[in-house]
Amino acid sequence: MSSPIRTIGHRPRARLLTACCALLIAASAGCQGTRPATQQNVATNQRSFTDGIGRTVAIKADPQRIISLAPNITETLFALGLGNRVVGVTSYCDFPAEAKTKEQVGDTIQPNLERIIALKPDLIVVTTSSQLEKLARQLDELKIPVYVTNPRSVREVVASIRSLGEVTGAGGRAEELAGEMDRRTRAVQGRVKDLPRPRVFYVLQNSPLITAGRNTFINDLINLAGGRSISGEETTDYPQFSRETVVARAPEVIVFPASHGTDLVNETDLRRDFTLTPAVRNNRLVRVTPDLVDRPGPRIVEGLEQLANALHPAGETKKDTAKP
Amino acid sequence: MMRQAEITGNPMSDAPAVNTRGYLTRRRAVFVIAMLGIVLVLACVVALALGSEYVAPNEILVGLWAKLTGAASPLSPEHEVITFGLRLPRIALALGVGATLALAGAAFQALLRNPLADPYVLGVSGGAALGSIVALMFFSQVAFARPLLGFAGAVAATFVIYLFGRREDDPARLILAGVITATFLSSIIAVLTSVAENVKLRNITYWLLGDLSSGNTQGIVFIAVATLIGAVVLVTQARALNLMMVGERDAFALGVETARVRWLVFITASLLTGAAVSAGGAIGYVGLTVPHLVRLASGADNRLVIPASSLAGALLVLIADTIARTAFAPRELPTGAITALIGAPVFVYLLLKSR
Repeated sequence: MSSPIRTIGHRPRARLLTACCALLIAASAGCQGTRPATQQNVATNQRSFTDGIGRTVAIKADPQRIISLAPNITETLFALGLGNRVVGVTSYCDFPAEAKTKEQVGDTIQPNLERIIALKPDLIVVTTSSQLEKLARQLDELKIPVYVTNPRSVREVVASIRSLGEVTGAGGRAEELAGEMDRRTRAVQGRVKDLPRPRVFYVLQNSPLITAGRNTFINDLINLAGGRSISGEETTDYPQFSRETVVARAPEVIVFPASHGTDLVNETDLRRDFTLTPAVRNNRLVRVTPDLVDRPGPRIVEGLEQLANALHPAGETKKDTAKP
Repeated sequence: MMRQAEITGNPMSDAPAVNTRGYLTRRRAVFVIAMLGIVLVLACVVALALGSEYVAPNEILVGLWAKLTGAASPLSPEHEVITFGLRLPRIALALGVGATLALAGAAFQALLRNPLADPYVLGVSGGAALGSIVALMFFSQVAFARPLLGFAGAVAATFVIYLFGRREDDPARLILAGVITATFLSSIIAVLTSVAENVKLRNITYWLLGDLSSGNTQGIVFIAVATLIGAVVLVTQARALNLMMVGERDAFALGVETARVRWLVFITASLLTGAAVSAGGAIGYVGLTVPHLVRLASGADNRLVIPASSLAGALLVLIADTIARTAFAPRELPTGAITALIGAPVFVYLLLKSR
C-alpha cells in the first residue's frame, strides 16, 4: 500500500519547484504572464466549462486522473462509470465500497494540497464546503483545473450530474442517470401531489437542538416529499432551535437521521421533550438514512423516496385523496 | 456564626485583602444575601415568562401559584409544557451552573490569593471538558459517563496542578502550573476535535461554547447536589480561608490546618467545576468575574464572598441564558458566548477601576 506512494514521493516536489519557478517567471513578466498558457490550452485540446459557481474552467477532454473532494461527487463519478479514473477521494468517501480503496487526500473541508498535487490530477471536483478560495487559487497557479459543483436542491443535483458528465466526457451515461432521477422524482411528486402536507420537524441533533433552515437540501427534500418543515422559514441554514417553538408549532412528523453507533439524536430525549406534539402522540418519529438525505449525489432520489414513504405511508392515498 | 470579634481580633486584620469595605457585620451580610436572593427570585420569574413563544405572564403566575398549592393547572397543555417542562428545567440548570462556577472561582481566588485564579485559568475546567469530551466521543451510550468523567478530569487536572505548583506560600507558582495545564489540555481538546468524525465534532464545538439548552434532569440533580455540598464545605472553610488570604504561615501560626484546608477546598472546587462543565459545557467568565464583583460590592470577607458569589453567579448565568434563548428567537445562541459578552467588559471595567 505504501510503496506506490513512496515511488511518486520525489517527483511532486520537483514539480512543485518547477511550478514555483514558473510562477516567479510569470509574475516577473507581469500580469500578461497567463496569456500564453491559454493558447497552449487550445493546442492541447482543452475545453472551457462554466462550473457550479460561475467560474470558467478549462479542462482537458476526457480527464483520466480525477480527484473528488466530497462523498457526493465520488458517488456521482462512480455512478457515471468513471470509478477507474478516480485517483483521490476524501476520508468521508465510503460509497460505493470501491471508493474506500482509493487514495485519501484529507477531508472535505481541509484537503491536503501536497497530496493532491502529488497525485498529478487533470481534474479536481469540489463542493463549496471545502476551503475553496485557498484551494482554487493555489491549484489555478499550478494549472490544475478545479471544477466546483454547488447543488442546492434535488433539481440542481440532477443538473450537476449532467454537467459533470459533460466535463468528464461521460455525457451519455449522465443523461441516462439524470433521466432516471428525474423520472423517480416526478413519480414521488405525482404520488404526494394531492395529499395533505404534514408539518415536519427535521432534527439534525438534539443536544443542542439543531434543525435545517429554508435554503437547505433537507428543506427541499421535505417539500418534494409532500411535507412542510416547521423551520422552513429560517434564514440560517442549520440553526440551533428553540424547543418551545417546536412544541408550539406542533409537528405531525419528526424526522431524524440515524446511522449505526454515531447517532446525534437521542430518541428517548426527543420523545420526552416533545411528548405533547402530534408526532410523538401518534408515534410518528421517522428515521432516515443520513447518507441518502445528506449527500447531494445520485442516491438523493432514494432518500427522497424514503422520506416520502415516511411522510405518506401506503394506504393514505385512498383515504385523503382529493381526486375524483 | 458571623462573630465580628473573630476578624477584628486578628492582628493581621488591616491587610488590604480583608478590609476593603470595613469589617463584615452580620447586618450587612444578611442584607447582601437577602438582596441577592430577592433579585434572583424575581429574575427567575421574569425568565420563566420570557421565551421564543409567548405565554401570558399572568397565566404563568396563576400556573405557578397552582403548582405551589397543588391545584390543577389552568394552563393549556402546550403552555404547561413550554413553561414548566422546558423553561423551568433550563432555568434550574442555569442557576446550578452559575452557582457552582462562581463558588469554584471564589474558592480558587481565596486559596491562591490571586485575582486571576478561576477554574478556567487553572485548567480545571479544561480537565472537566476533556473528560466530558472523551465521554461524548467514546462512551456516549454509558449512563452518567459525562458527569463522572467530567469530575474525574477536573480532579486529575487539580492533582497535576497541585503536584507541580505546590510550594508553601508561593501562589504564583500554582497559577503558572495551572496556566500551563490549561494550555496543554486545550491543545489535547483541539487535537481530539480535529480528528473526530464530522458530525460528532459539531456536537463538541457547540458544547464547548456552553450549552444549557438540554435542561436534562440528570444534569440538574447532579449540579444541585454538587452546589449544596460545595456551598456547605466552602462556607465552613471560609474563616480559615480568610486567615490564609493574609498568609499561610500566619494562618498556620493562628491554628489553621493549612494543608488540610488547601486540599479540602481544592478538591471541592474541582468537583464543582466538574459538575458545572459536564452539565452545561464550557461557560466562561463566571468563576472569574463574579467573586470580584461581590468583593467590590461587599468586601473581601470569604464568609460573605462565598455564599454571595453562588447567588450572583446563578443570577449572571440565568440572565445570560435568558438572553441566549430569546434574543434571536426561535434561534438560540450558545450561553457561554453571552456570559463572555457580559463578563469581559465588566472585567475590564474592574481592572481599570482597581488601578
